[in-house]
Amino acid sequence: MEATADLLKQGQKATIAGLKDGNFSQKLAEMGCVPGTEIVRLYQSSGGNTIAYRIDTYLLGLRREEANQIEVTLLELDPA
Amino acid sequence: MSFPSSFALVGNPNCGKSTLFNRLTGLTQKTSNLPGTTVEAMQGEIRINQGIVTLMDLPGIYSLYTKSEDEGLVVKHLIRTDENKPEAIIFVMDASNLRRNLLLFSQVAELQIPCACVLTMTDTAVRRGIDIDLLALQAALGVPCIAFNPRKEKNTSSVLALFKITAKPNIIGSPSQLPQRLKEYQQGAKIQGLSEETLRRYISIEEVIKKCTTKRPVGLRSLTLKIDRWTTHKWAGYFIFAGIMMVLFQGVFSLAKLPMDAIEIAFQSIRNTIETLLPKGLVSNFIVQGLIGGMEGVVVFVPQIFILFFLIGILEDSGYMVRASFITDRIMRKLGLNGRSIIPLVGGFACAIPSIMATRSIKSKRERLATMIVIPLMSCSARLPVYVLLVSVAIPFTQFWGPLHAQTFVITSAYMAGIVVAIILAFIFRLFQRKQSPSEFILELPTYQIPRIQTVLHQAWLKCLSFLSEAGKVIIVISMILWFLSNFGPSEAMKTAETEAHILSQLDPSHSEDIKTTLRLEASYAGHLGKCIEPAIEPLGYDWKTGIALITSFAAREVFVGTMATLFQSSEDNTQGIIEKMQAVKNPKTGKPLYGLPYALSLIVFYAFALQCMSTMAVMKRETGSWTWPIALFLIYGVIAYIGAYVVYHIAI
Repeated sequence: MEATADLLKQGQKATIAGLKDGNFSQKLAEMGCVPGTEIVRLYQSSGGNTIAYRIDTYLLGLRREEANQIEVTLLELDPA
Repeated sequence: MSFPSSFALVGNPNCGKSTLFNRLTGLTQKTSNLPGTTVEAMQGEIRINQGIVTLMDLPGIYSLYTKSEDEGLVVKHLIRTDENKPEAIIFVMDASNLRRNLLLFSQVAELQIPCACVLTMTDTAVRRGIDIDLLALQAALGVPCIAFNPRKEKNTSSVLALFKITAKPNIIGSPSQLPQRLKEYQQGAKIQGLSEETLRRYISIEEVIKKCTTKRPVGLRSLTLKIDRWTTHKWAGYFIFAGIMMVLFQGVFSLAKLPMDAIEIAFQSIRNTIETLLPKGLVSNFIVQGLIGGMEGVVVFVPQIFILFFLIGILEDSGYMVRASFITDRIMRKLGLNGRSIIPLVGGFACAIPSIMATRSIKSKRERLATMIVIPLMSCSARLPVYVLLVSVAIPFTQFWGPLHAQTFVITSAYMAGIVVAIILAFIFRLFQRKQSPSEFILELPTYQIPRIQTVLHQAWLKCLSFLSEAGKVIIVISMILWFLSNFGPSEAMKTAETEAHILSQLDPSHSEDIKTTLRLEASYAGHLGKCIEPAIEPLGYDWKTGIALITSFAAREVFVGTMATLFQSSEDNTQGIIEKMQAVKNPKTGKPLYGLPYALSLIVFYAFALQCMSTMAVMKRETGSWTWPIALFLIYGVIAYIGAYVVYHIAI
């Protein structure tokens, strides 16, 4: 199933499918958001303005609209 | 055998680069600017065989294509061709995060500078189930690679050996004309297909990773995530942030008290010694009051500045400050700032100057400017002694509300007033900026680590040294000018003052010294200057002596205390002495104490808002590229300070 990273639920795991063309694509790619990488939504600040993801092995903080630029393929719903 | 003599340490942020640098260079390091720029980098020396090589620790970057100013300057340093160019690179790579670190490596490789690779955090990699075959990696990259954990290993001989065997790296994948494209990029050209280039690099990097790593499945339990559950919690996160800030400032106040008292006592004994050694007269007076008094005014701040930089350094090094950015981004954005602004803003409570430089990490020009604009409203450590002096003179040390002391309450309010005005100003500034400029918040949340106390101590100390030399020069010069102005005057006026003093002291012999000093001062150039601006500041409740102190502290706020000390000079010239003397002065019109509560509150408000710091203005000019903003802010903050002080004075009176 296709979605964007901001739509993931807390703890949900997915694989990055691609990046939308936009202001952030270059920076996101440099930070390791490349197709095939595993992405997990971890936690968010109050109001959900910024969201923390685990990309591969490290944590990345993104704004919601930046996370919206990351296209993902859903894998499974983490039971935790 | 010859090998390169100047090296640069290059790598991602948080890859252990600076820890490695400290291991290698020890105490030889000093901060210096990258040649021809204002970006600070640490530089140190290493002895290898018989020769000495220099090693520069460049700030961490993720990519050579960068929009932020400080990172851009790092890239410029790498691609420069003049004699300051680094002859070779020691590339530091976080083994637990190989893919992203290899992206930067693949770009740097195209510069074809001789290189060697140090893999850090291999223990973390192993814990994450990643095993790295160093020989395969070496073959793929074409440069010597070793594993070294600078946090744990002390013997650096394996790293030092690398300095002698650097080699030109292999191009990973197919070359992309990076040097040419980088030049165009730096000139502001929009490069087509940049993210495609990055993705292509990742495809080649994936092949390298496949060849030299094996992955074992491991369960991920992370302490960092457990801590983050609290520090980024939707409301507990803010409480923790506020709590940490309170502890921070409490720590600065209470920890700095003892060393500050010690410094005052030490200077007092130096003064006494000189006074007994030198014959009484103009020379001795100049050395004791002008020169040593000026030096004391500088040195006495070192404990506060040191402790504040140290504590902020601890917070940054532990990884906490990034979480503070993460939770405050929402509020900051509403004000036209960025979550990243929180670090320079907190730093503003220590000193505006390094904080204004720290705004370089904010990518959006508008957000960066807005952050710079409000930083001077954070009550910096230089304002603290002014607050403390005024509070000690005019506010009784009594319980005010519960355990809260009246004095603490007033000082805390001054800090809060600055923050409130900063919020309002940021908001107004945002309204003026109609156009949406791109803003981003893509921030790595590093794993928490135990702060490296020694490194942070060392860096805080280096910052103190630079304060001592930069601000120190200004303050000492001002103190000497002030001494001259307050000891000399138009000869007519001075003569009249002498005669008057002579007559008066015969009437009241017990206070003859004091009377003479006061009259002489009033007749001096400084006295004339103060009298000259008295009409302008009288509505705020200030007298001409305060006027002199206001003028001199336009150079730097802390000069206020030193000036008052000089103006109320007495044989026992210490803070306690000034406080008592100031308390004794009565307003000739009302008979009430002249330096009473309304005076103190009004002056505290004035100092909270006014941009009285030449160094801040100078650094702002350097960072914005013109005098427009510093001058505009000087005027705006001046008006706010004047109105604020006027209102407070008239409410309090």
